[in-house]
Amino acid sequence: MLEQQLLNALTLGSVYALFALGFTLVFGVLAVINLAHGAVFMVGSYAALAMVSHLNAPLWVAMLGAMLGSGIVGLLVDVLILKPLRARNAPHLAPMIATIGVGIMLTSSAQGLFGAEVLRFPEDILPAGEFLVGDVHVRALEIAIVAIAFLLMAVLFVTLKRTQLGRALRAIAESPKAAYLLGINVEGLFHVTSFVTAALGGIAGVLIGLNFNAITPQMGQPMLHKGIAVIILGGMGDIRGALIGGLFLGFAEVISKAYLSSQMGDAVAFGLLFLILLVRPSGLFGRKLERKA
Amino acid sequence: MEWFNDFWSTYSTLVFTVGVHALLALSIWLTLSCGLLSLANAAFMGVGAYVAALLTVNLEWSFPAVLLAGAVTPALVALLIGAPVLRLSGVYLAMATLAFGEVVRITILNLEITGGPEGLNGIPLITEGWHIVLILAVTIYSLARLRRSKIGRAFEAIKEDEIAARLMGINVDRYKLLAFTLGAFIAGLAGALNAHFTFFISPREYGFENAVDILTMAVLGGTTTLIGPMLGGTILTLLPELLRSLHDFRSLVNGAVLILVVLFLPKGIWEPRRIRAFFGRNKGDQA
Amino acid sequence: MQRVSKTLALIGALSCAGLAQAADIKLGVAEALTGGAAQYGVAIRNGFQLAAEEINAKGGINGNKIQLIIEDEQAKKEEGINVFKKLIFQDKVLMVFGPTLSNSMFAAAPVANAAKTVVFGTSNTANGITDIGPYVFRNSVMESDVLPVTVATATKHYKLKQVAVIYGNDDAFTKSGYDVFKKVLEDQKLPVTNTETYVKGDVDFKAQLTKIKGGNPDAIICSCLAEEAANIMLQARGLGIKAPFIGGNGFNSPKLFEISKLAGEGTFVGSPWANTNPAPVNKAFVAAYDKKFGGEPNQFAAQAYDALHIVAAALKDVKLSGDLNADRETLKNTLPKATLNGVTGAFKFRPAVTKTGKPGGWDADQKPFIYLVKGGKFTLYETK
Repeated sequence: MLEQQLLNALTLGSVYALFALGFTLVFGVLAVINLAHGAVFMVGSYAALAMVSHLNAPLWVAMLGAMLGSGIVGLLVDVLILKPLRARNAPHLAPMIATIGVGIMLTSSAQGLFGAEVLRFPEDILPAGEFLVGDVHVRALEIAIVAIAFLLMAVLFVTLKRTQLGRALRAIAESPKAAYLLGINVEGLFHVTSFVTAALGGIAGVLIGLNFNAITPQMGQPMLHKGIAVIILGGMGDIRGALIGGLFLGFAEVISKAYLSSQMGDAVAFGLLFLILLVRPSGLFGRKLERKA
Repeated sequence: MEWFNDFWSTYSTLVFTVGVHALLALSIWLTLSCGLLSLANAAFMGVGAYVAALLTVNLEWSFPAVLLAGAVTPALVALLIGAPVLRLSGVYLAMATLAFGEVVRITILNLEITGGPEGLNGIPLITEGWHIVLILAVTIYSLARLRRSKIGRAFEAIKEDEIAARLMGINVDRYKLLAFTLGAFIAGLAGALNAHFTFFISPREYGFENAVDILTMAVLGGTTTLIGPMLGGTILTLLPELLRSLHDFRSLVNGAVLILVVLFLPKGIWEPRRIRAFFGRNKGDQA
Repeated sequence: MQRVSKTLALIGALSCAGLAQAADIKLGVAEALTGGAAQYGVAIRNGFQLAAEEINAKGGINGNKIQLIIEDEQAKKEEGINVFKKLIFQDKVLMVFGPTLSNSMFAAAPVANAAKTVVFGTSNTANGITDIGPYVFRNSVMESDVLPVTVATATKHYKLKQVAVIYGNDDAFTKSGYDVFKKVLEDQKLPVTNTETYVKGDVDFKAQLTKIKGGNPDAIICSCLAEEAANIMLQARGLGIKAPFIGGNGFNSPKLFEISKLAGEGTFVGSPWANTNPAPVNKAFVAAYDKKFGGEPNQFAAQAYDALHIVAAALKDVKLSGDLNADRETLKNTLPKATLNGVTGAFKFRPAVTKTGKPGGWDADQKPFIYLVKGGKFTLYETK
């Protein structure tokens, strides 16, 4: 039983991590709590679904399409809304509230376009196949999800650590002003970040949509809550923290449901978060360094 | 007077809701005025609503006593959690209060006495228009007085620069705790009032979305004055009603309005300086 | 203000005109058309619209056409109250259908009851709704009428020794379904291996199911909404659980088995309605619904469809005076006697048994059908 639960936790945790990664990156670079990230996640799901069912696109094309689609949404939000707010140095609350508005608009547009009922990917496009490893039931789909999630996260890590772009982004995260003085195209990189993070949110939406097969306009909301929990756990704006925090939350949820009662699971999770914040505001896995929020 | 009766029987609940939302917006304005971004006010409202409703239904307390209990209980909770929580600032405080709110919601969900997810129904209709008007008036008056008092100036100093305020000898922790607790008091009062004109309360009314809604009211209206939050509360309550004719596009427009206000009215809708400037210019034009 | 009084004058003029000639019968519909409960609310609205069109196409009720005034209550309690007040006091409807969720009903029904206006719920199964007062009606069958039959039938069929239970613990509907299941299992002395919960919005149930698997139950009882149930079934089979499912009202969606495919094979469901009910009236309904809305109806649409026909049946026997208050009172007095052989089968009302013993409203008196899922379809279960 334990092995099965660990696999359950790994699948759940890697999707949480992927979602939270985008969420935390926006916070780290743009210093915005993007409350539309849940809706962007939902957009990814619908975009892939639309491509699969209306254009008969193969799944991998649909995935790329979903990343592009949600990425564009993220870019538009940045250009049309966040940029003007940055330009006039608006307080932190302003972009957060604007993103609430974006979330509402995206959710109601999705309902207008696709209806309120639960939609699903057609059965035949899913990677079929299921096998037993010892006592553990493993679906090919789960392996694909974990693989894609880790692949994307690896690409992101390497990009951030090893490339010029990554160094520039990290510089901005430390101080946008200093980065600007160093000759970094800060605005351009803000756009890039918005695109990439939204694309990551979108692909997370496709993966969740594939695995659990329930796409609704409201599907982003619970994910957003989880995302908030993850970035608190991992330390806000901390990339590695989001990865560890996502996996940790996945494991904590599954293990507490398996070995404690599933009744108070969420209360325990949020209670824990509350305590973590009191004891270690920089997150359980975060660096000691704190950005002044 | 007939049109009034007609209007009132259709819209009284809406008007009551405007009043309650104005109170909620003021409750968060109070914490914001001390530089605290707290998202616990929905939870405090919930505590107030449940305490009040349970006292009315089970023990049949008189309404003033019920209201008082509905306000004091969340204030006590705030006092209790305030000391550790208020050491955090900015986004971290927001997240901690958010987590606290979830704990409250889930606790209500799993208690027997609260009716769990099925909520509490059969709460009698006790709240009357004048209750809300009176409480709102007293709240506004008290807050206006508070603003001009030593306490209000201390709040402002803390909001502008906490470290400087501390150096000036202001007991920052005590004032923050005061703002947090008073905010909880007002939110609880709003919850108690609300429970007694909607017949029914359930845990889902006091979750994350509602916390954000309350914050949005204050920021939308503008937090530089007392009028701003109340105006924001009023607009966000009436907007869905006014947009009713748009049917399916209603929430779309609702979201758009939120974005547009943030983009084009940075200090909220009610900003005395801008409004004075606007009228000043108009006068100039006429002359 | 002037506009308000003008509107009033207009309404006055219209209601005077109503005395002279055949007039529209205005019925309010308050459902959650946006927000989290929209998928039910929209289906319900469709059911009403279809029924109204059919009734009007056949000449209306005694020559009077039905006019539906449809409002969105967003599944929020304040909105529910506001919409009810608008419909009752401003639009001056004869009666109100809705709201979608029991939560909103608890908030809005007292308003209608106080205004002496019939409120008719088609999707509210929670206990205590008809306690609110004599003007409160519903044709949604309560779980406490359905589940004992379902569980007993399944127990006999599968010779069940022990079962596991899973339910959503933050939703009024699934939680109250669980409470009924719990009582039924105690009454029928069926041991429970595990009781697991989830919360709304959860999509991953594997942790709970893995635990259930460990208890080795003969069947899994599931108080869930259809979308969660489909995932639970699929994930259970993915984990190698073979035990059949027993479901409550939430299972009553053709979509459930369309999605879960053979994962739901052998499921027992008790339901007031199923799309494969071979009665001609139901076949016609399913076909008409598909033609108008392009898709299969669900239970919520079916119950809404029947609800309007029940009201139409009641109104056929009365003469409306044009005096709104009197007509509302007439409807309240006639409606309990209305019966219907509709898409959900034979229907009549029965007086609610209230907690306080005071006279309450009217509940549905309807025998559930027990369905066994075979080949991905609901098939009527016949006891040999």
